[in-house]
Amino acid sequence: MNNSLSSPPQENNLNRERVMRFVSSSGLLIAVILLFTYLSVDAPNFLSSRNLLNIMRAVSFSGIIACGMTLIIISADIDVSVGSAAAWSSSLLGVLAIDLEFPLIVAVIVVLLQGALIHGIAGYIRTRWEIPAFVVTLAMFISLRGAARLITNAYPITPFPDSFNFWGGGYVLEGIPFLERGIPVPVVFMLVTFVIFYFVTQRTVFGRAVYAVGGNEEAARLSGISIMRTRLIIFGITGFLAAFAGVLISSRVMSGSSNIAEGLEFEVIAAVIIGGTSLAGGKGSIWGTFLGVIFIGLLSNGMVLKGISPFVQEVVRGLIILLAVFISTWQRSLQKG
Amino acid sequence: MTPILRLENIYKRYPGVLALDNLTFELNAGEVRALLGKNGAGKSTLIKLLSGAIQPDEGTIHIDGSPVALTTTQDAFKKGIYTVYQEMSLVPDLSVAENIMLGRWPLTRWKMVDYAALRRIAEEALQQLNITLDVKMPVSRLDVAQQQIVEIAKALSFNPRLLILDEPTSALAASEVDLLLQIVRDLAKSGRAIIYVSHRLAEIPRIADTVTILRDGQLVDTITIAEATPQRITDMMIGHEWTRMTHANVKMQDNAEVRLRVSNLSQEGHFQNVTFDAHEGEVIGIAGLLGSGRTELLRAIFGLEPVDTGTIEIHGATVEKPSPRMMKSLGMAMTPEDRKKQALLLIASVQDNLTLASLDRLNSYGIISPKALTDAAQEMIVDTQIKTPSLDVEINTLSGGNQQKVVVGNWLSIRPKILLMDEPSRGIDIQAKEQIFLLIRDLAKEGLTVLFVSSEIEEVLDVADRILVMNQGNITHDLSAGEIGLDKLMALVMGGTYGGIHNE
Repeated sequence: MNNSLSSPPQENNLNRERVMRFVSSSGLLIAVILLFTYLSVDAPNFLSSRNLLNIMRAVSFSGIIACGMTLIIISADIDVSVGSAAAWSSSLLGVLAIDLEFPLIVAVIVVLLQGALIHGIAGYIRTRWEIPAFVVTLAMFISLRGAARLITNAYPITPFPDSFNFWGGGYVLEGIPFLERGIPVPVVFMLVTFVIFYFVTQRTVFGRAVYAVGGNEEAARLSGISIMRTRLIIFGITGFLAAFAGVLISSRVMSGSSNIAEGLEFEVIAAVIIGGTSLAGGKGSIWGTFLGVIFIGLLSNGMVLKGISPFVQEVVRGLIILLAVFISTWQRSLQKG
Repeated sequence: MTPILRLENIYKRYPGVLALDNLTFELNAGEVRALLGKNGAGKSTLIKLLSGAIQPDEGTIHIDGSPVALTTTQDAFKKGIYTVYQEMSLVPDLSVAENIMLGRWPLTRWKMVDYAALRRIAEEALQQLNITLDVKMPVSRLDVAQQQIVEIAKALSFNPRLLILDEPTSALAASEVDLLLQIVRDLAKSGRAIIYVSHRLAEIPRIADTVTILRDGQLVDTITIAEATPQRITDMMIGHEWTRMTHANVKMQDNAEVRLRVSNLSQEGHFQNVTFDAHEGEVIGIAGLLGSGRTELLRAIFGLEPVDTGTIEIHGATVEKPSPRMMKSLGMAMTPEDRKKQALLLIASVQDNLTLASLDRLNSYGIISPKALTDAAQEMIVDTQIKTPSLDVEINTLSGGNQQKVVVGNWLSIRPKILLMDEPSRGIDIQAKEQIFLLIRDLAKEGLTVLFVSSEIEEVLDVADRILVMNQGNITHDLSAGEIGLDKLMALVMGGTYGGIHNE
């Protein structure tokens, strides 16, 4: 008797749960589709494969870093230093490969490892002394940019060998009719990174630990999850990705430069937040971040094609972040009933 | 003489509970009344009623003979009733003076804080207590006893006629208690009425004039302090309705394997020289009051907090650097005191919460198979009888009892050898409580060693084979559950005299 009394509300709950989950997981997808449809109809030259691939390439650098940033934000931290880290990495690559004449492959490996190391140290400082990640990474945001200018005198370091341009500026799958010049290499890197990180967050012990640490650090600690190890890996990975993006951008602009990736951190954070990852930690997804990256790409491209003033574009981009968080907060208040 | 306070036929109902049942209660000026009762007897409800936090369903409150309605805490202040709660309400970075007058700082003509006046008022409030403190010092630099005094000074700045103190000594060391008791006596001499809630039986005769005992929302009796022997008090608190659950307490065989050996474990300010063995298949209950060091002891054993001296051995091997991760790998599990703050990922699903501790087991080379996860969660749903519409619902949609079962299931999923549980029955319904304890007894039969802490003395007697009584950081008694009754255990836990073994 008891069971039959209690089952209808439970079923209702379940349906409601399903509807809410569909809306919250698919709201952004619907927004992306709507925006895409609108631009296809209304924006000149939007629906060409060249334009679409350009959009993808434009977001590829921030997309790669956004995978790490998603882990950072799920773990209830923030990292405002990734743009500076990319610029520092690019500068270091120039100094190592061109000024000091290291073999290029060695220079790249050194740059990638130092990226992981510096961010790993930041993660250590944050965890060991419980200094807010915002403060630690703000310090890096300022000083890594400064260090980059210091070792390059703020001039681009050139020249890299021509073959190096392939990684940031080249194409694969050339000659397929619809793709024209083929798929930009950084786009391939971005897609591969997203697939890897989707797997990492969904299917690995580390990925689940990231959610646990962000959702309730004390509970995670009590469950025998090492907070230090988890945070070190999260920061290390993000630093690695920032350095990797720095290398790709160097390849694209064919110089080691301290002036690249300015404001990149905020573009990355915006994509993650629009993708529904909660700044409070414990909740978020790589799929959401992917949609967030695409959404920002479409929006920027669409505004350019429509001839909207760059200043208005900035205003719109800012308001979109606010709107995205507003919607997800509103959804959460609905879920609570 | 008209009593300061008179409660008449008060009823307060909560869903499923009659929290106050026809309560009638009087208190005179200059009287210190000790209010005693087990957890859930109605003490908190009564205090909330008097401080205006809740309203009675029926009955009236009279102050100085005239009926009053206390609908907000401000009403209570205006009528001269002030409550000092167990949890302190001080702002650590503000000064003593600023805290005493928090929200009521005197202002100068220019609407700036008048610090001279503020200091004067604070000093006057402290003078009433015969205490000298630097009122400019931030509260964070005071010790717990001094902070408690600031709380009372803050209360006095409202010039209350009835002061309610809710377990004011639970966080204090014995030497600090004396000072507090003296202050309370002095306040009574100045004509104030005082309601004093405490579980420490030893301090009651030193402070109270009269004792009121509550049980199940009813007022059992009010007696003078001369009549209030520990024996009588505990009898009245317990009543006679209690019968023990029918499980045979297992007497450990002498040759049973020692799973956990704690030797001379000390942690400054929390517990001293704690030594005991826990055997395979043994269920040990730690009975102690809030502030007795029971929670700190469990946390230290699980490696959550460092200890100053002493060793922890598992299966005969000393654990060099205890950490939760290390302890888990040695087969130890722990369900913490506050499930929402310390155990659950509230925004995550039932499955995520059921598999958090066992992820280490449910993977190969760091990669999880979703099916293994679902299977493990499903297994625990069955084993711990969790009622949930599905594995995917958020944990915070479940009832407290089911949430607690998830916490237990999360740990049982690692197949532990030793299970530590801190207040496993806090805030859960009776059915869930029984299911959890029966499960523990079953698992103990299969060899699990259980060490649990509970504020509910009956529960300790019901479930444990062996009882460690903890009092102010010391294990004062190590008893077999069969050899002690509820009344005596309660007296021991409250630090009363029983067999002349322990006092104060």
